[in-house]
Amino acid sequence: MSEAAPRPIDRHLFAGFLRQHRKAAVAVAGWSLLEAVPALASGLLVAAALDRGFLAGRPAEGFFWIGLLGAAMVFRALMTRTLTPWLGRIVEPLRDELVTAVAAGAVHRAAAGARDTAGAGVARLTVQVESVRALVSALLRSARQLGVSLLMAFVGLAALSAPVAAVTLPPVLLTLLLCAPRLRALARRQRRQLRAEEALTAAAGETFDGIRDVVACGARDRVADVLSARITDHRDAVRAVARTASANTLLVSLGSHLPLLVLLLAAPRLLDRGALSVGELLGATSYLVGGVAPALRALVSVLGSWGVQLATVLGRLSRSTLPARRTPGQAPGPGASPRAPRSPDLSLVNVGYAYGPGAAPVIDGLSLDLPAGSHLTVVGPSGAGKSTLTTLLAGLAEPDSGRLTLGGVPVTEVDRAWLHRAVTLIPQEAYVFTGTVRDNLRYLRPRARDADLLASATAVGARALVDRLGGLDAPVGLDGPPLSSGERQLVALARAHVSPASIVLLDEACCHLDPAAEERAERAFAARGTTLVVVAHRISSALRAPRVLVLDGERTAIGTHAQLLDESPLYADLVGHWVAATTA
Amino acid sequence: MTSPQRLVWDATARTRGWFVLASVTAVLGSAGTLAFPWAMARALDAVVARRAAAGPVLLCAALLALVVATGALQTLANGGYGSGTVAALRRSLARRALDAGVPGTAGFPAGDLAGRLSAGCAQAGSAGVTLVTASTAVLTSLGGVVALWLLDWRIGLCFSLGVPPLVLIARSFMNRGSGLFLRYQETQGRISALLLEALGGARTIGASGTAAAETRRILEPLPELSRTGHRVWALQRDTGWQVGLLIPAVEVLVLGAGGLALLHGDISAGELAAVVAYTALAMAALDQLDALFALGMSAAGARRVAEVVDQPVPAPGTRVRPAGGPGTVTLSGVTVRSGNRLVLDSVDLVVPAGTALAVVGRSGAGKSTLAALIGRLREPDAGLVAIDGVPLPELTPQALGAAVGYAFERPALLGTTVAGMIAFARPDASREEVGAAAGAARADDFITRLPCGYDTPLTDAPLSGGEVQRLGLARALVHDPAVIVLDDALSSLDTATEARVGSALASAWSDRTRVLIAHRVSTAARADLVAWLEDGRVRALGTHADLWQRDDYRALFAADTAPEGAPGHDTHPHTQEPV
Repeated sequence: MSEAAPRPIDRHLFAGFLRQHRKAAVAVAGWSLLEAVPALASGLLVAAALDRGFLAGRPAEGFFWIGLLGAAMVFRALMTRTLTPWLGRIVEPLRDELVTAVAAGAVHRAAAGARDTAGAGVARLTVQVESVRALVSALLRSARQLGVSLLMAFVGLAALSAPVAAVTLPPVLLTLLLCAPRLRALARRQRRQLRAEEALTAAAGETFDGIRDVVACGARDRVADVLSARITDHRDAVRAVARTASANTLLVSLGSHLPLLVLLLAAPRLLDRGALSVGELLGATSYLVGGVAPALRALVSVLGSWGVQLATVLGRLSRSTLPARRTPGQAPGPGASPRAPRSPDLSLVNVGYAYGPGAAPVIDGLSLDLPAGSHLTVVGPSGAGKSTLTTLLAGLAEPDSGRLTLGGVPVTEVDRAWLHRAVTLIPQEAYVFTGTVRDNLRYLRPRARDADLLASATAVGARALVDRLGGLDAPVGLDGPPLSSGERQLVALARAHVSPASIVLLDEACCHLDPAAEERAERAFAARGTTLVVVAHRISSALRAPRVLVLDGERTAIGTHAQLLDESPLYADLVGHWVAATTA
Repeated sequence: MTSPQRLVWDATARTRGWFVLASVTAVLGSAGTLAFPWAMARALDAVVARRAAAGPVLLCAALLALVVATGALQTLANGGYGSGTVAALRRSLARRALDAGVPGTAGFPAGDLAGRLSAGCAQAGSAGVTLVTASTAVLTSLGGVVALWLLDWRIGLCFSLGVPPLVLIARSFMNRGSGLFLRYQETQGRISALLLEALGGARTIGASGTAAAETRRILEPLPELSRTGHRVWALQRDTGWQVGLLIPAVEVLVLGAGGLALLHGDISAGELAAVVAYTALAMAALDQLDALFALGMSAAGARRVAEVVDQPVPAPGTRVRPAGGPGTVTLSGVTVRSGNRLVLDSVDLVVPAGTALAVVGRSGAGKSTLAALIGRLREPDAGLVAIDGVPLPELTPQALGAAVGYAFERPALLGTTVAGMIAFARPDASREEVGAAAGAARADDFITRLPCGYDTPLTDAPLSGGEVQRLGLARALVHDPAVIVLDDALSSLDTATEARVGSALASAWSDRTRVLIAHRVSTAARADLVAWLEDGRVRALGTHADLWQRDDYRALFAADTAPEGAPGHDTHPHTQEPV
């Protein structure tokens, strides 16, 4: 279970799981058979107690057989007691396996940029794993027991009176045969119900989170109607499930009650022929009324509810753990093995990138040289592709056209481990995780000394924060105090400053800091002497950089601040509004 | 607070037919189940005595038919009744949340209301079905006990001896179990929280290649979870063992007493078979332990629903605004409190029709509250807000919607597609109108770069904070009300875009009343009038040029050396930076 690599929840996972836990499975099967022995013996013992004891006027012998029945049931309780922990030894590891698969799948998919992993929906997966655990244990506890009891009751019935077994078995078998395909129909309708539920929850979440906007748009009634329609959809889906389940109930209770009627009708003839004693007749009814009928009904209803739910939830989990689309570099083309570049020189030639096949390109024909140690600031209107540029530079996405190389090697062919060491990207949404401050700071350089961590924290202006939190051992995240967006950014900046990277990409990484704090942090990175690309949140970042890239489709330009003021009307515009705004 | 019982009962009243069917079938089924062993005893006795058995056997068949039919009908009725109650609860919750609007729902964290609608209502709505089925099941079991007593009092006594220890076992299971279950849920919740935390850092994890390490970190509480799980199994083993010893003891006692009664001729052979059947029926009450847990969950769910349903709702008005009213906004003596704090302190303010008023002031001065009052997103604690002389509470919701519109700092992404979002306030708007509004808000550039342009589903649109703001502005342009409130709606745009969008809006809305909540000095400079709020009062009202003479006014914008420095960045889940 310590596997942290993602793997889909599918039949291979379950087959592998059963192979690994064969011992527990065999133990459960063995103890189950022993556990069902009393179910096998109950009618026989009741018949003996009557025929040889109470009906024969020998109460002592009657008590002996009934005492034996009691002993058999105690034996069964003992077997259940031995068996129960073995069920735990199947269910708990299965849960571990599923939680691991879900967590690894979600994290890897998210890291690979899959968009469907945002939000709480994915975290709900762990809740779904929990329902798998509950369902599997319920199935193991009841369906297993019911199935074995049903089987044993019939074996006992056959031992007691073969003719009775012969006339009562067919209706039961027929019921089981007829039910199997109906369970599949039930599963289909339950899946529809689950989809309706999800659609309703999604619509409600969107509406309630935007309730201010709904009111401001005067759309209350319309939105209420939309929600109401979803609510009705779900209600109808539940009723469709109930209709199928109702038909199943009808079938199963017919099948479970018929044998007794058949017995009552056949009994006079069997008694006349001497093929059945009175005690045996009563023993047989106790098998049918106390064993077969309840077990059959419960078995089908358990399979029809928990079993179908289990199949549905597993299907959902399986889809959500499918591997994400190929990430660059993971599977390089034929013949291309991962390479380690000799230098961290970045070069872009005619690079283009679009969000989708039909979409207009975000970045179009961009050419740029970033030799080791250079310092570039990127400015441009919102949505011009600044973030996308850092994504490409970090090797998180592949250009659609053109050539992006690192030390002469196309970025997609660069060895991943080398790339992760060489390039550090700090996005706008700073990542602070549960653990100590130290864990967070040495995230990108696990062997860093405390002195280095504190020096970097000081350099980017995060030292006061570290001290206030209580030093490197202080907890942050779930166990720590809530941090503001700016404080989270300081932690992320200090972490990047510690990292061994020779290329640092700051994608609006200081946007929650005040201008003075931003300047201090940017200067700290410039002083590292490594390549620095800053996506500017404020135009003041551009004034500090030796080179500025103005990114905006066809109006893209690159140069020094002074050059761009002359040559790029857009840049002059950006700076001009800023100057106007501050001095108006 | 509306009691959980009241809530479930009211919802039941709205699905009365199914409720009656569910109850009647449950009671009939129970009666049939109880009568069957007695009929079976008569049939067996007739068969054993070689008497004519057709009558009793036919009775057995009839009772079984009743049990079978009511069982199937009850399954159907429970589905209809349960789903009807859940739907009724969900409808009232949704309607009430929408009517209570921002003030009524402000106390519920994001995502919480949706949880109450889906899970809370489902739990509460299942209470009726649980009650009907569990109470008839318990009654059937009691009936089984009574039947044992009636058949032979000694048999009844033998069974009843087993009841007190059973109750003790069940109580000890609940006591020992609840702590374990809670611990298990907490540990499992921590894994969810850690996973959610890591997903928030997806871009960092992707760029650092640390997905495997992150997975290991998320799974750190897993061994603890496993240990607690095994302890739950151990508890089940112990409880099962106790029950497993008690049940045979009771059955042996009952059968022994039955055998003796048979020997003495107090009961017949068929009646002994009935004893076996009634004992099984009486024991079945044990299965209803789960119903206790379920009812507890239902009560908790109903309380969560009641908290929403009890939110106050402002009464809607009945008047319409005079046609073609110019859109003069008047605030008279408006006071708003938040706890003990005065957010607005008897503010008097008139926004003449067709003018642009900028509202400035330090954060916490009450600017956004003032903005919310104008469209009745919030009610004042005292005083009156009116448009063209008609107090807002007197306007119908439709009239109010046509009178006042908003663009926000962080607009919610409503509608299914980008085009649907822009046309959300006026769904009948043509594609041309949507396109024109997007153009004026400078949104058409990035929309054409989306995978399916205007038809891109919002869930698939990688939008930054500034892009979402521009969609919100385009939405307000399509809405086109008489009074427009821009609540910091251009704050995430870069200065060049802001200037262009600002002038496009000014020309589109030149004759409209505009209220601009502003942090930037440039916004104040473009407005006709500036209202300067401080500590909930209007400190000064005048043109920007006049106010700029004052040092304290200029000091307001001293921190604004950063034209793109939007305080508080967008954290809406839809607005991650493009990847």
